[in-house]
Amino acid sequence: MAAVNAPARAYGIAPGLSFSDACARAPALISEEIDRTGDAAGLKTVAALMTRWTPLAAVDGLDGVMLDVTGCAHLFGGEAAMVGGIARRLDEGGITARLGLAGTPGAAWALAHEGASGTILPQGGEADGLKDLPVAGLRLSPDALRLLRRFGLTRIGQLYDVDRKSLARRFQSAEAVGAALLRLDQALGRRSEPVDPLRLPPDYAARQPCPEPLGHLDGVREGLERLLGKLAGDLAAHGVGARDFTLSAYRADGTVSRTGVSASRAVREAAHIARLFRDRLERVDPGFGIDLLVLEARRTEPMGAGARPLSVDLAASALDESALAALADRIGARLGEGAVRVIEPAESHLPERAEAAAPFEGRLPDWSCIERAPQGPRPLRMFDQPEAVETLAEVPDGPPLRFVWRRVARRVMRADGPERIAPEWWRKTGGGAKPRARDYYRVEDQTGRRYWLFREGLYDDGRGGAPQWFVHGLFG
Amino acid sequence: MVRKGWAEAPTAEPGFPFGLAREGVHEIVEGAYGDAPACAGFAVASLQAARPGAVVWVSQAEARLAHGGLSGAGLKQAGLDPGRFMLVRTRKRVDALWATEEAARSGHAAAVVAEVSEADFTATRRLSLVSETTGAPILLLMPYGREGATAAQARWRVSARPSSPNRYDARAPGRTRWRAVLERSRNAPSAAGRVFNLEVDNETLSLRMVPGLAAGPAPPHAPGAEDGLGEAPRRRAG
Repeated sequence: MAAVNAPARAYGIAPGLSFSDACARAPALISEEIDRTGDAAGLKTVAALMTRWTPLAAVDGLDGVMLDVTGCAHLFGGEAAMVGGIARRLDEGGITARLGLAGTPGAAWALAHEGASGTILPQGGEADGLKDLPVAGLRLSPDALRLLRRFGLTRIGQLYDVDRKSLARRFQSAEAVGAALLRLDQALGRRSEPVDPLRLPPDYAARQPCPEPLGHLDGVREGLERLLGKLAGDLAAHGVGARDFTLSAYRADGTVSRTGVSASRAVREAAHIARLFRDRLERVDPGFGIDLLVLEARRTEPMGAGARPLSVDLAASALDESALAALADRIGARLGEGAVRVIEPAESHLPERAEAAAPFEGRLPDWSCIERAPQGPRPLRMFDQPEAVETLAEVPDGPPLRFVWRRVARRVMRADGPERIAPEWWRKTGGGAKPRARDYYRVEDQTGRRYWLFREGLYDDGRGGAPQWFVHGLFG
Repeated sequence: MVRKGWAEAPTAEPGFPFGLAREGVHEIVEGAYGDAPACAGFAVASLQAARPGAVVWVSQAEARLAHGGLSGAGLKQAGLDPGRFMLVRTRKRVDALWATEEAARSGHAAAVVAEVSEADFTATRRLSLVSETTGAPILLLMPYGREGATAAQARWRVSARPSSPNRYDARAPGRTRWRAVLERSRNAPSAAGRVFNLEVDNETLSLRMVPGLAAGPAPPHAPGAEDGLGEAPRRRAG
């Protein structure tokens, strides 16, 4: 048995009992195979829901959710009101839950599992509050629990004054006693215990509760405008901008719908962020009505106050990177991230490594730093992957006289080259194949089209079979 | 005094390249299937005359697959700073047209080049209006088979020609040459239909008309029949 409900417990059935024993005690028992993955997914949903109270919500074990509500209670009218609100919300959702609030995760766990539901311990009152709870509230292994019970230690309070050295002597191993004492110390706040949140907490956030659930996107748009006003003010006050924004819409029925936008550089202008959200808002489904909107900002960076160019001429002639970033953000918001790219130079002789179409990050690349120009001609258009060609008439040291590319035979009328590009031997090639030198030729066919052909490998270079020909680019 | 009819002062028509890379939509169409690199080269050469500033290059995925991506080293050799280029990659044609319009509307692009498979009258009309408002020229690189009336300022049909003789090595290709037909032009209606044999000047990196290969009226557009050199145009399979 993995879990039982209250009527079953009345029959004396408890988790850990074998199924046949349980059937013997209650012949009318209704049982179901446990679905761990389904439970984990459900628990995650519950934890996601809890983010309306605090951004730091984590799944705890197989059946719990841990919330770090530091500094959040005042938003809901105090801790008691907050715990009451959470209990009511869970109850409405048909979820049976036991709550506890304390200064440490360990103490909160003990309260939720062994104390009366909804107990709130004052700051620093862990030792007093946990005194009378059973030791099962300490998150110990079954073996350790059995051992403690055998010593007559049934209440957490009894452990406070036990001599630690003598306790260690009675446990079989140092690890077991270490684990037990660690859990005790964590519950009492003598050792720290981090919470591993489901979602990274935002750097800045703004929230907009709605007195009446919003059923229409117009309301969401209005709410977003207010949130942006608040958030932009916060960001400006701290001199930062953010690159990721997430809008979470918490629905009255206890579900949440999220949508986010990214900027190619840190921004904080409310109007610009609103424009990025314009197309995304349609993805927010109001469902039965939205009663809370939260806007979060992540990936914040310091950002100076914007200086505008003095004259219009200056703005038009110079590359206005911030204006381009705004344009890139609008395009990225609609076409997806990575749609806007720049040609980034790199230090390499290999043509395909010498440049890369990198995502635009609010900055245009500087090509003036690449001083060494390539030796030979470079095509205007280059293929990501060189395309193999079939050569029809080869000469040992020169381009082919005829070749077939994309099923069309092309006669080489004129050619120049070769430009030999040696492999980068310091890079490992996959599969153990020896890298081969390439000889590049610019060839022109009978119609005047120019191709950038290369032969991979030399004849008799002892690095694999016959050399292969490829077309790597097309000249304009 | 007698006035017979109303005579307006004749307005001077612009000379070559007839307002290319000035505001308005300019279509650059493949002369035959496979001439897309020549179109791109023609567009890049014409960008020399554009305002300084960023160039937004929008390309649909199928163009990139068929003819490769824009190469920075190639742009540099064509005399343009690759750092000025902002590339936008889209899968669908509507997205490419939308991105083109958005870039031109922003007013921060010196020119917008778009490789799209098709743009109908409405699309080109929209782009023309945006381009005339902000002054950013829009060059549409379109595949072979583009026909019919659009709201574009001009349509050039560009195909590759054998390059000029190389002075130093007879077996090597020389300066790039194109055959460009100005099929339609709103700026210079009288020049419509003329053929220009163009050559890229390696020193000044500018376009010039080839002397001796004088421009003349084009024969009616018959795909593949031009020059007698071009291979028969191939329609894409499928």
